[in-house]
Amino acid sequence: MNRTRITGGVVILALIALAIALPYIGATSYILSLISTILIAGILAASLNFLVGDGGMASLGHGAIAAASAYGVGWASKAGLDTGTQVLIALGITLLVSFMYGVLSMRTSGIYFLMVTLALGMVVYGLAFRLSSVTGGENGISGIRRPEFISEYWTFYYFLVGSFIVVTVLLWIVSKSPFGASMRGIRDSESRMRSLGYSVTSYRLGAFMISGTIAGFAGLLSVWLTHFVSPTSAGIHRSILLIVMVILGGVGTVFGPIIGAAVVVLVENVLSNSVERWPTVLGLIFILVILFARAGIVGSVIKLARRLRPGPNSEPPGASDDPAGLAPSSGAPVSERNHTA
Amino acid sequence: MRSTKMSPRGRWSAITAVAAAAALALTACAPPGASNDGDNGGDTGTLKVGYISPVTGNFAIAGQEMVDGWNLYWEINGTEVNGVTVETIVEDDAGNPETSLTKAKKLVELDNVDMVVGPLLANTALAVAAYTSTVDVPNLHPVAAADDLTQRSANDFTVRTGSMSGSQMHYPGGVWAADEGHKTAVTLCPDYAFGWESCAGFSQGFEQNGGEVVAQYWYPNGTSDFSTYVSQIQSAGADIAFVTTAGGAPGPDFLRSFFGLGLGDSQELLMNCCSLDQATLRALGDEVLGFHSVSNWAEGRDSDTVREFNDAYAEKFDGKIPSLNVAGGYMTASLVASVIEKNGYVTGADLVAAISNIEMEDSILGKAKFDEYHNLVAPVYIREVKKLDDGKLYNTPIETFEAVDQWLGRTPEEALALPNYSQDFQGLE
Repeated sequence: MNRTRITGGVVILALIALAIALPYIGATSYILSLISTILIAGILAASLNFLVGDGGMASLGHGAIAAASAYGVGWASKAGLDTGTQVLIALGITLLVSFMYGVLSMRTSGIYFLMVTLALGMVVYGLAFRLSSVTGGENGISGIRRPEFISEYWTFYYFLVGSFIVVTVLLWIVSKSPFGASMRGIRDSESRMRSLGYSVTSYRLGAFMISGTIAGFAGLLSVWLTHFVSPTSAGIHRSILLIVMVILGGVGTVFGPIIGAAVVVLVENVLSNSVERWPTVLGLIFILVILFARAGIVGSVIKLARRLRPGPNSEPPGASDDPAGLAPSSGAPVSERNHTA
Repeated sequence: MRSTKMSPRGRWSAITAVAAAAALALTACAPPGASNDGDNGGDTGTLKVGYISPVTGNFAIAGQEMVDGWNLYWEINGTEVNGVTVETIVEDDAGNPETSLTKAKKLVELDNVDMVVGPLLANTALAVAAYTSTVDVPNLHPVAAADDLTQRSANDFTVRTGSMSGSQMHYPGGVWAADEGHKTAVTLCPDYAFGWESCAGFSQGFEQNGGEVVAQYWYPNGTSDFSTYVSQIQSAGADIAFVTTAGGAPGPDFLRSFFGLGLGDSQELLMNCCSLDQATLRALGDEVLGFHSVSNWAEGRDSDTVREFNDAYAEKFDGKIPSLNVAGGYMTASLVASVIEKNGYVTGADLVAAISNIEMEDSILGKAKFDEYHNLVAPVYIREVKKLDDGKLYNTPIETFEAVDQWLGRTPEEALALPNYSQDFQGLE
């Protein structure tokens, strides 16, 4: 167990060192912008992963929360407000939208939760598309500038690496906290938690607010990367890709979202340079993962590593019998142990 | 129980995070190559062109046509002009602005292209143009019609080479309708930026010349059953109905409802480029003979340039007649070729300036030049569907408005001071 932990720590530190060194060892600004895209998608996917993994709530409207925050920045920038105010407006809109989502969906679960969040996502999309005096309609809002201190592409890249680390650590801490444990309790047996005196709805609302705030943060970052926002970012397509990222990477794992995000972003932006039928390739990858690695890429690697190393390092009896991501009903819960990734 | 055991690890992560933050602070000096001087390799024997178009997804047909037009020109005339070889890299954006932007970055930073052509859709075009102008790379737009490309977002690196702005292209339609003696009009446009702009163009042309727009209707994208809209047009009882689409299925769909409710002979109708294009003519055949539309492309125009272009396209694509998207791609290629012919290898703002200085006496779009906002100033045709000698249906000009600019009878300053067009603001008094 200790050896695994040390190996994991070394790998993480090496990856962070590599991320910091990249601009100095010849990565062009194109490669950095690609990695930046992956990091932002990773943060957004991580926010959803928290909700799905610990709360068992699969939201089909998370792209729209990020888009709402992005539109907040866009509108504020068009109105000529300074950076601080822009960020505050984005935060305000994010909290408001997340609260709406949370309040309207917290009494539902499973397919109904999916439908409510889908509907709310479509409301945001509809507003973005039709409320053209604020959102610019289909054209969107362009020419949004980054704040001065991260205006260079490489300073922004470091800012993103830092943001990603902070968000990952924060989500990990929340997930490990009593709050996270209660969420998993609610996910696994809502009635038992209720009879123990937990207020299930307020826990759900709280989880949604945390997840939504991080999604809004990702929306802010994406505007700073692309300098524009358009209704496409609020569309259902975006939210579905987010779910795909989470499932590809491994629901409930710490590093699943970033791996899933990397796969999707690379297929969409790099593979499409040479393969015209790249949507088919993405679909095939998804189907293969569902069929042969239901715990996702990261989840399966962890399972495999455990199987290859029996003896003193193995799980305490009982814990390993519950394969990650296969528990019933609640969408895609996962054994707590996966968080050691 | 386990969570208490985890807390040392939580501390570890916190330390890691602090260490990472410290490392970030220490690396506050720019990495090599951070100063991007915009120099693109310096090979003056090759003009590298990045061509972004949605060749997959919902807009694949229009996107492919835009690519075909560009390729057709170089196939006919050869890719070597005045000692410069034109090399094209085509990238697919599937109509998604974020992908468009990543592809543009890839083309500029990895492939070192000298210019970016495309993409097709308004929001993708605006996103790419905003990026290319910050890295001093010219961006040519063969099809994109968003007003702002050459108005509120105009810059020295963006030029609209093959199409017109949404309001500009339809403004003469309104002028013509009023000149024909129509007093009242009803409009039906798609409910997004292109539709708002096109209906604003028509309505202003119509009202500035004494007509009155009595009702405006808007249909959402993806509408396939137009019967309710057609009955609204019928009950509006206006002298003329103006209907636009951005191409594809809505054109034939609208017309089927229009005929189905028996308005074919009783209601005067003016359509636009894309609702009455060759795809519609092929779908509906002789039924649409004599129908009118307004566009800056007329495949039935009596001109050698147009005939050569039509013949070359027909030979390559099973006798099909080219659409506005093909014409836009072809026109863009011919402009690039004539710049190289005259100046040799140029790029950056010089390339855009050189294109803007071109005046073509008889391009496939007619007599064409550019305004100082790098927008096309060219004829707009009122077209009628006629059967020509080869037995095929053509949109043939019956009236030509020469040198139409994008300001709809205003000065540029007045026009730019107005808000963007929307359902609520059509530029009418």
